[in-house]
Amino acid sequence: MATNYYLPEDKVPLPPKHADVLTTCCDYCIVACAYKVYRWPIGSGDGGVKASENAFGIDFPSSPLQDWVAPAQHNVVMHKDIPHNVIITPNKDATTVNTNGDSSIRGGIIAQKCYNPKTPTRDRLTSPMMRIYGTLQPVPWDFALDVAAEVAKHVIAKHGANAYSVKTYSYQYIENTYAISKFALRHVNTASFTFHDTPSDVTSTPGFRDAGFDNFGPSYDDWGSADVLMCLGTDPYETKTILFTQHIMKGVQKGMKLIMVNPRETAGITYAKKMGGLHLDVYPGSDTVLLGAIARIVVENGWEDKEWIEKWVNNKWESDSGFGQGTRNTPWQWRTTWGKFQTKGFKDYKKWLLSQPEYELAQASEITGVDAEKIQKAAEWIAKPKADGSRVNTSFGIEKGFYWSNNTGNTNAISSLATICGAGGRPGRVVGRFGGHQRGGQRGGKLPRNKSPEKVPGRRRRALDTDRWLVSGHTRMAHVIGTTWIQAMSGSQGLQKRFQELVVTNPHQVRSHDKQEIIETLKRRADSGGMVVIDQDIYLRNPIGAQFADIVFPAATWGEEDFMRANGERRLRLYQKFYDAPGDAKPDWWIIAQLAQRMGFDGFDWKNSNDVAEESSRFSRKGRKAFHMVKVYAHQNGRTLHEQMRLLGADGIQGPTFINDKGELKGAKRLHDTTMTAEQAADLYGENGPGEANIVTKKLTHFNTQTGQINLQKHPWSLFSDFWTWLKPKEDELWLSNGRINEIWQSGFDDVERRPYITQRWPENFVEIHPEDAKARGIESGDYVMMYSERVAAHKDTLLGVQNDHFQFDELMKRGHIELSKAAVTAVAIVTPHVKKGVLYSNMLDTRQPSNALTARVVDHISGNYNYKMGVAKIAKLGASKYKEEFRSMSFAPRNIA
Amino acid sequence: MSKDTYDESAAAHGQCMLNRRQFLLYSGSTAAAASTTTITLFPGTAQAREVNARVVGYPRTFLAKLSELKDNEPIDFNYPDNGKNASCILVKMGGVKAGGGIGSQRDVVAFSYLCTHQGGPLQGSYQVTEEQRTLGQCPFHLSVYDLRRHGIIVSGQAYQSLPQVMLELEGDDIYAVGLMGLLFGRNENLMNV
Ligand code: SF4
Ligand code: FES
Repeated sequence: MATNYYLPEDKVPLPPKHADVLTTCCDYCIVACAYKVYRWPIGSGDGGVKASENAFGIDFPSSPLQDWVAPAQHNVVMHKDIPHNVIITPNKDATTVNTNGDSSIRGGIIAQKCYNPKTPTRDRLTSPMMRIYGTLQPVPWDFALDVAAEVAKHVIAKHGANAYSVKTYSYQYIENTYAISKFALRHVNTASFTFHDTPSDVTSTPGFRDAGFDNFGPSYDDWGSADVLMCLGTDPYETKTILFTQHIMKGVQKGMKLIMVNPRETAGITYAKKMGGLHLDVYPGSDTVLLGAIARIVVENGWEDKEWIEKWVNNKWESDSGFGQGTRNTPWQWRTTWGKFQTKGFKDYKKWLLSQPEYELAQASEITGVDAEKIQKAAEWIAKPKADGSRVNTSFGIEKGFYWSNNTGNTNAISSLATICGAGGRPGRVVGRFGGHQRGGQRGGKLPRNKSPEKVPGRRRRALDTDRWLVSGHTRMAHVIGTTWIQAMSGSQGLQKRFQELVVTNPHQVRSHDKQEIIETLKRRADSGGMVVIDQDIYLRNPIGAQFADIVFPAATWGEEDFMRANGERRLRLYQKFYDAPGDAKPDWWIIAQLAQRMGFDGFDWKNSNDVAEESSRFSRKGRKAFHMVKVYAHQNGRTLHEQMRLLGADGIQGPTFINDKGELKGAKRLHDTTMTAEQAADLYGENGPGEANIVTKKLTHFNTQTGQINLQKHPWSLFSDFWTWLKPKEDELWLSNGRINEIWQSGFDDVERRPYITQRWPENFVEIHPEDAKARGIESGDYVMMYSERVAAHKDTLLGVQNDHFQFDELMKRGHIELSKAAVTAVAIVTPHVKKGVLYSNMLDTRQPSNALTARVVDHISGNYNYKMGVAKIAKLGASKYKEEFRSMSFAPRNIA
Repeated sequence: MSKDTYDESAAAHGQCMLNRRQFLLYSGSTAAAASTTTITLFPGTAQAREVNARVVGYPRTFLAKLSELKDNEPIDFNYPDNGKNASCILVKMGGVKAGGGIGSQRDVVAFSYLCTHQGGPLQGSYQVTEEQRTLGQCPFHLSVYDLRRHGIIVSGQAYQSLPQVMLELEGDDIYAVGLMGLLFGRNENLMNV
C-alpha cells in the first residue's frame, strides 16, 4: 500500500503448514494480549483453504470466533535478509488475558507495525544522524556515539550531573528500561530524570501508595467477579479493550453491575447502561467531591464494612507505628506533614467527612454536575447491605481521566471509599488501576532525590521537575528516549518555545565536517547556556527529533529483539524477535551500553538482551512483577531466562514469582491477598515459608504500610478547590478534557499516522462538543474549529517552599510564580450527545494539533504530577472541513449507540 | 460543478486512474450517475473519462426493486454466493445520502452482515440516530459501523470497514455487482463454496 489511503483488499494469503510459528504479545495497551506470528519465505507457497493445507488447521471460510486473517494482519518483512510473509493474529490458544484469541482494533492489526518500505512505516529511522549545517544527516554509529559521549562527559563535569537530563519512556521493555535507568541514575546519577508521562519521577497514584495499595494488585479474574464494579476516569472498553470484553463483560453478563464515572458516554458505558448500570457524568476534576458525597451517604447510613475496617484499617497508634525512624521516611508521612490527610482511624475519618460541606449531597451534585439521585443510588449499590445482612462485593478501578485530574485528592478519595466498602484484598473485592501502557519498567538505579534543588514545605526534597528545570535554563544536555517530551506534557506550546530558544537560536550550531570541531561546538552551546539534544526513537518525531535533536539514534523495537514485559495483572511474557530491525537500528539497551562505555562507565558489556534481563532480575525481587525466580528456575534447568520465558508461552507467569518446595515455578494471582490460605501459600513458596532465593514481601498478603493495614485518609477538596475554581469555565469558555480514543489508544506512538485504516478513521485531531454548546456557537459536525485560551497557567520557577501553603495554587499566583500564556489548537468538530454539556473532549496526543497545549502546566502540588485532563477553552468555527461532505473518512456518528 | 452532484474533488485525491471499487470508495455520490456498464469518472472536470465498470468475476445478482424498498426497513440477501458468511443487508436509509449509495437520493446501500472483527452477526442492529445510520453494536464485542461512510468503524474492534456490496441500478432493479473489502472468514471473496 503506497499511500495512507485505505483501499479495502479482498484477498489475503493463508499461512502454510510449513510456516514458523512464534508467540508474542501485543505491543500496545496494558492488557498485552497474546498473539501468534506465522512466518514463511515469500515464494515458498501459501496455505490452502482446507484444514490440512494451512497452519491454523481449520477449513475456510472459517466460522465466527475462529481464526481468520484480515488483510491488515498480513505484512512482508525481512528475516535473516530474506523476504518473508508474516501473519500476526491473536493467539486462539490463550487461556488467560485474551481468552479465545480476542483482540482489539489496535493490536488486531499490529502486523502493520512491522517495517516495510512499501507501507507508511517507510520513514522508520534506519541510521544514526547528526545535524550538520542544519540538516540531519546519516552518520556511522561510532561517529554519533563518540560525539554524544564527549559532549555528555563535558556537560556532567562542568555543569554537574543534573545538567544532563534524561526523559524516557517507562514501559518499553524490561531490558531497555533497566539499561537506561542504570545509566542515568546509577552512573550519571542525575536528579533530572523522569518518565514520559510526568515532569518528575514521582508516583502516579499518591493516594494508593499512601493507603497501602499496589496499583496492579488485582488479577483479571477479579475485575469480572464483583457484584458492582465502579470504573473511574476511563471506559475500559475503549482503553483496555480485552480486559473489558473478556473479563468485565462476562461479569456483567453474569449480573455484575457497572458504575461508570466519566464525562463522556462511550461504547462501554452505553453497554453498561443497557445492562442496567449507572453513568455518573462528572465535570472534569470534580471526582473528589463526588466520592466524598458517596462516602458520606455510606457512613451516614452505617453501610460501611465494619468487620473489614476493624481488621484492616490502621487506628491512630498503628498509623504512627514503625521501626527505627518510624513512618517519617515514608512518602505517606512526608506528605501528611500538614496533618491534612492523616486520620486516627475510621471514627476520626467519619467525623471529618461529615464536617465537609462540599460533600453534602445537594452541594456535591451542584459542583460535579451529577444528579443527586444518581449519587444516592451509587452509594446504595456499592455499600448497602443486602436484605439478609450480607454485603455486596464491590470493586473499584481507576485510570487517567481520574488520577490525572486532582491527582492526590482523587486517589486519596477512592482509597478511602474503597476501604469503607470493604474492597482491597479479596477476590472480586479489589481496588487498583486498570492501566495504560504495559509494565516494562525495571529500575537499575535510584533517583538521587537529595540532589534535587526543589523542596516542598516541610522537610522533604521533591523530585526535580524536569520541565521547569529546563525552562529555567539548567538543562544543558537533554537525552530523550522514545517520547515526544513536548506534546506529551502540559502547557506545551510554552515548553516548545523554550526548546527553540535553548537549542535552535543558540549561536553554536554545527557547521563543520570535523568530529573534534563538532564536539567543541556542542560543548560551547552547553557552556553558553544553551542545550544539546540527543533523541533516541523509532521514528523522527516533530519537533523533538525533526527540529531540536542534534544527534538521533535509531531504535529497534517490538519484534526486532527478544524482550520481556508484564501486563496489568503482572503477567510476564517474552516478546520474541521475528524479523530484522530496519537498517542500522539497534535496541535501546545496546545504544545506552555503547554510550555508557564511551563515557567510562563499567558494567555495560552485555552481549544480548538476555544478558541484560538476567542482570536486572535481582533488582526486581521486591517488586510486583518480581521475575528473579524465573531466572533461578531457568538456571536450575540449564536454560537462560529468555529461554524459560519462551517456554512459558502465551500465558507466561504472574509476578511476583516463586519456586516452591517441590521445585515448581509459581506466580501470584493477586497482591494484598488477604484470603490466601496456608495451603495456597505453601503451594507458592513452600510448606516451611520462603526458602532459597524466594523473597516474599508484605504486599503479597497485606498492604504496603508499616503495619500491613490500610491508612484511611482524608481527601479534602480545599487543597484543590482554589485551582479548580480559578480554572472553571468563565464566560463562554467550556471545560476541555482530553484523552485518547479506542481506535488509537496506546498505539499512537508509532501507528496512528501509519495505518491507512486508522488514518482514515481519524485523519486529524477532533473535538467532541455537546449539541447545545455547538448550536450556541454555530458549530456543526465536520467544521474546523479553533480551541483557544488566553489563560493557560504555567508554573515557571524552580523554588523552595517554606510555609505550608507556598505551593498552593492561590499562593503561587499571588507570589508571581504563575505565568498566563495563550495557546490555540485546531480540530474537526464532532457534535455529539455522548459528551457532557459544558465539556469538550479532544485527542491528547495528536502531534500536529496537541490539545495538551491548553492544559495547565501546574503540577499537583502534593504529588508533582500534572493534571493533564483539565483545561478550559473557547471554541470558534473556522469553516467547513472536507470531512463534512465526503464519505471516505472520519465518522460523525455518536459513540453511544447501543 | 454543483456540490450536489460532485462532492469530492478528484484533484484532492491526486488520482485520475481508479478501479471500480476505489472509484466508489472515493467518489461517493457520483456513482448514481453511472450506467450499468460504464461510469464517468470525475464528470464535469478535465479528467472526465469513461471507464469500463464491470467488476471482473463477481456475479451480477438481482436484489430488489427500488420502488418496493421501504425507508429504514432492511432486506436480507446473500452475496456473492449462497455459501458460508455471505449474508448481507440492503437498506434504503430514508433519504440520508451515503458513500456508494444509489437511487436518486443515494441512500440505498448494502453491506455484509458479518462483523469484520470476529464474525459477529449484525442482523437486527440497523439503527437510525438522527442523521446517522449505523449497524451495531455487535453482540460479541460491541463494534458499530457507519453505513453512510462505506462501513467505516464508528467505535469498536474490527480491523477494517464492513465490506460494502457495490450496487447498480437498472431502471427500477437493484443489482449487486461486487464487494469492497474481504468478508469475514474468507481468504478471498470468491471461493468455491
Ligand atoms: S491494544 Fe490492548 S486490548 Fe488491544 S490487542 Fe493490544 S493488548 Fe489487547
Ligand atoms: S465480532 Fe463483532 S465486535 Fe467482535
